[in-house]
Amino acid sequence: MSGSRAHRLARLAVAPAVLALAAGFGGCRSDEPEPPVPTVGPTPLRRLSNVEYLNALADLFPSVHEPLPPLPDDGAVAGFENAVEAQRPSDVRIARYEAIASIHADAVTRDPASVRALVGCDGWATADAARECARTFLATTGRRLYRRPLEPAEATRLLARFDEWRVAIDFEAAVRLTLGVMLQAPQFLYRAEPAPAGVAPGSVVPVPSYAMATRLAFFLWESTPDDALLDAAARGELASEAGVAAHAARLLADPRARRVFTSFHRQWLGLDRILGDEHAARAAELDPAWTRATQASAAEETRRFVDGVIGSGGTLGDLLTSRRAWVDAETARLYGVPAPPPGTWAEVSLPPDQRAGLFTRAAFLASFSHRGGTSPPVRGNGIQLRLLCQLPISPPPGVDLSQPKAAPGEGPRTTRELFEERTRPAMCQGCHAGLNGFGYAFESYDASGRFRTVESGLPVDPRGAIRGTDVDGAVSGPVELSVALARSETVRRCAANQWVRYALARAPDEVEGPMVAGLAERFSKSGGDVRDLVLAIATSPSFRSMRVLGGEAAR
Amino acid sequence: MKLARRQLLQAVGLGAAAVLLRAPGARAGAPTFPTRVVFYVQPHGHIPKAWKLAIPGGPSDRVASRDLAGLAPEELPPTLRPFHRLRGKILPIEGLCHTIALADIAQVMRTGGDLNNHQIGVADVLTGARALQRSGTYCTGGARSIDQELAARGMAPGRFGSRVYGYNYVPNSIVSPFSYLGPGQPSPMVSSPATALQDLLGLAAPQPTPQNREEKIRALRPSVLDAVAVEYESLAPGLDADARKKLDEHRALVRDLEMSLRASGAHCDVKIDSSGHEVRQFMRVVRLALACDLTRVVTFSAPVPECPELGYPAANTMHGYAHQSIEGATSCGTAFDPVAERAMIDLDAWHAGHVAYLLDLLDAVPEGDGTLLDHTAVVWLTELATPTHEHRDTGALVAGGANGFFATGRYVRYPQDQPNPIGGQPRTGPAHNRLLVTLLRAMGHADDTFGLDGAAGADGTPLSFRGPLAELLR
Repeated sequence: MSGSRAHRLARLAVAPAVLALAAGFGGCRSDEPEPPVPTVGPTPLRRLSNVEYLNALADLFPSVHEPLPPLPDDGAVAGFENAVEAQRPSDVRIARYEAIASIHADAVTRDPASVRALVGCDGWATADAARECARTFLATTGRRLYRRPLEPAEATRLLARFDEWRVAIDFEAAVRLTLGVMLQAPQFLYRAEPAPAGVAPGSVVPVPSYAMATRLAFFLWESTPDDALLDAAARGELASEAGVAAHAARLLADPRARRVFTSFHRQWLGLDRILGDEHAARAAELDPAWTRATQASAAEETRRFVDGVIGSGGTLGDLLTSRRAWVDAETARLYGVPAPPPGTWAEVSLPPDQRAGLFTRAAFLASFSHRGGTSPPVRGNGIQLRLLCQLPISPPPGVDLSQPKAAPGEGPRTTRELFEERTRPAMCQGCHAGLNGFGYAFESYDASGRFRTVESGLPVDPRGAIRGTDVDGAVSGPVELSVALARSETVRRCAANQWVRYALARAPDEVEGPMVAGLAERFSKSGGDVRDLVLAIATSPSFRSMRVLGGEAAR
Repeated sequence: MKLARRQLLQAVGLGAAAVLLRAPGARAGAPTFPTRVVFYVQPHGHIPKAWKLAIPGGPSDRVASRDLAGLAPEELPPTLRPFHRLRGKILPIEGLCHTIALADIAQVMRTGGDLNNHQIGVADVLTGARALQRSGTYCTGGARSIDQELAARGMAPGRFGSRVYGYNYVPNSIVSPFSYLGPGQPSPMVSSPATALQDLLGLAAPQPTPQNREEKIRALRPSVLDAVAVEYESLAPGLDADARKKLDEHRALVRDLEMSLRASGAHCDVKIDSSGHEVRQFMRVVRLALACDLTRVVTFSAPVPECPELGYPAANTMHGYAHQSIEGATSCGTAFDPVAERAMIDLDAWHAGHVAYLLDLLDAVPEGDGTLLDHTAVVWLTELATPTHEHRDTGALVAGGANGFFATGRYVRYPQDQPNPIGGQPRTGPAHNRLLVTLLRAMGHADDTFGLDGAAGADGTPLSFRGPLAELLR
């Protein structure tokens, strides 16, 4: 471990030698002061995550609406589905790629008009004309799929196949089959960033233009670059910080950016945990009206909430405190507000004494509950693990994890009383003081996420405590808890760290610590402005640089 | 191994190789029918008193066994009763130990990490290796699991290396389902019987001689894959070693699919009944996959049913019942509840019913003088020994003879005479890893170990995981 660290530090030490080259890439004038060498961790080869792949297909081929076979799950790490460390291919995945490529290639070549639109020419009667058309097709569609112009050797290989298939069947079939190849090729499915020629291994260099376009698009759109971004790369506009900032701003203003905010928060905070089978129902004596439709609506409600709050310029703090809600009949029932007509969604304002932000909504409250009742430690675990980036240790072997119940004949007791008793031993308190402190504050909500002041005929005591943060202290209930967490540096640091993790598709490396700290500081100063943080990451020297790896393994 | 096979295929030409590999019994002395293996893996362990069969006069300090032939249904313990009709073809095993999990726990107690028994059990039971502890999240499988090892060694054109079916393990959906391609890489699992069937039909359908334009285009799918593989070969050299490795693995799988599509389809009856309980639907898909030789390795990650399915209140969960289900299991510090015990015994019987259904299906497929079941090993495992988080004194079951490899029709009990890796804990039986070694042998491989080759008792005594369990063999 220490050896590899020393090795990496040694590599960093040689980095200044390539500064001149870096300056050349960046288009800096020689009279400008030399910028410090950006800290860059490893940049392992990324495969498109399932969401990125499907978004890219949808953006490239908006006319295709055929049902697609399901892809195997991405091996999410810490919730993030693009985690590069869990992207090993499997036979099932390869077969699905083949099927999905065939479906798309077939769908967009079904009639002559579609073929003409795809290839960008309309006469292919002679062999020469067909060859010319094929070149145009590779230059346009090929560039979109590979996110850069094809190398001459790549074009030659594909043209040879194209000719073979055109002779064997016809021009349209050759387009379809060649498209099938490109949709399964590593240039489409993976994000290779080959080192510029002649650069020594270990050097830190600017990310080449087209690769930079790809980095920006997948970070800010969760999808492939559009033609405008590829054109900008071609013009060299992504070589400077100002150029990247301008294009990042354009991307962020596009509707496609909104799916990144909902997708990131879904993965970071586990907002789709509610869709698990265990949350398909609530115990009949608690909430017989909870159905699979409720489950789906709860997930959709938080998606609309994140989209609505961030989409209207909201901050992380707003996500934790806003009373705005977009509800349908299912979620209106849970929040005790008037229901819009069935099948429609409407924006409402939730009662200020009852709700404040994401963690007071059904998707969190119900998915961090059991179907038969609430569990303060489970909800506390959700806060610690997701919002504070603190991994609680698993319960030691042999401890009782069952839901505590009042003993027969003992009369009703609140969930809080039962958990206080269960976790009273000193060996439990090491973890449970923190877990329960958060969890008790959420006792104002039942296992469906409905507000309550009484449980089993007894008054609910929602007083809790925040521990392990910069805003530690007692809170009177869930609204005060959320408001306090919205002010927390610990929360903002966690968010910044997770955004970097999402941007890099891996946990930040040790050498990136100062970079993450700088971003977290900027995020705090901005008052938790999520768009500003995303822009800061996209324009940071680290995001715009890459470490050239040699033939040896990258750790 | 895999690479050598692929090189061979390329050397001799695809068509000839396909014939060579698909011809059963090509090697002198090899079984006439291929040996197949199915893992049925469930969470929560077994209730020992509903699993254990008394062995009258059997010694406790060495291996004991009892012939099942003469037993009436009610003489079998409740969990094994659904197998009565097939008792000549089953081999229940008592007393093995998930020693690797105990070693994991002993280690994590010293060094910190994820100590959740379920997660460690899921990570360890098919890998036989240490769980992979990861920063900031839960532990996961630390090595390639036995099914994927067998898959990698047994792939051939026109046949999947393995199929992984079933469900994510509730209550903690972060837990991945038993099977791993490699460290931290859960195998992709198909959770819909309809999708599972579609996958098989893709290989089972014979390739038609193209009659029209559309069929001519479809017939060029292997050529498309060939062109795709060339792109992987061309891109890789400009990249670093890790990236090359990733693309090489992808390319190899593209080539496998290409060869599968070139191989003539298995001519096989692919009609299937797609009704009834989803687990039963899956079992019929498994029968089809094995009967048509579309794979030789299947892993089924069994679901945990909701309580109402077994007649218990919806407010409870099977996981909730689990911790209260064994009298005197004081480690949990929870009150024993006879209702919970009954629920867990019913859960065992529910799983046993599904396994027995699969055995019936396989036994109904004639192969030579015997049946498909005679040429298969169906292995029923759990991630814990008991619902109360024990890892020692497990109940496991192998059914089917695996081509005469296992001596079925007997109940085998192992003595508890080995030191426990955790201090102050009872002695244990032989390591479950050795059952995995035995399965490698059943499938024709000569390995002496799988996963780790040993651990140490809390007192430092070395514990060997080497060699097959000879007492199970014919």
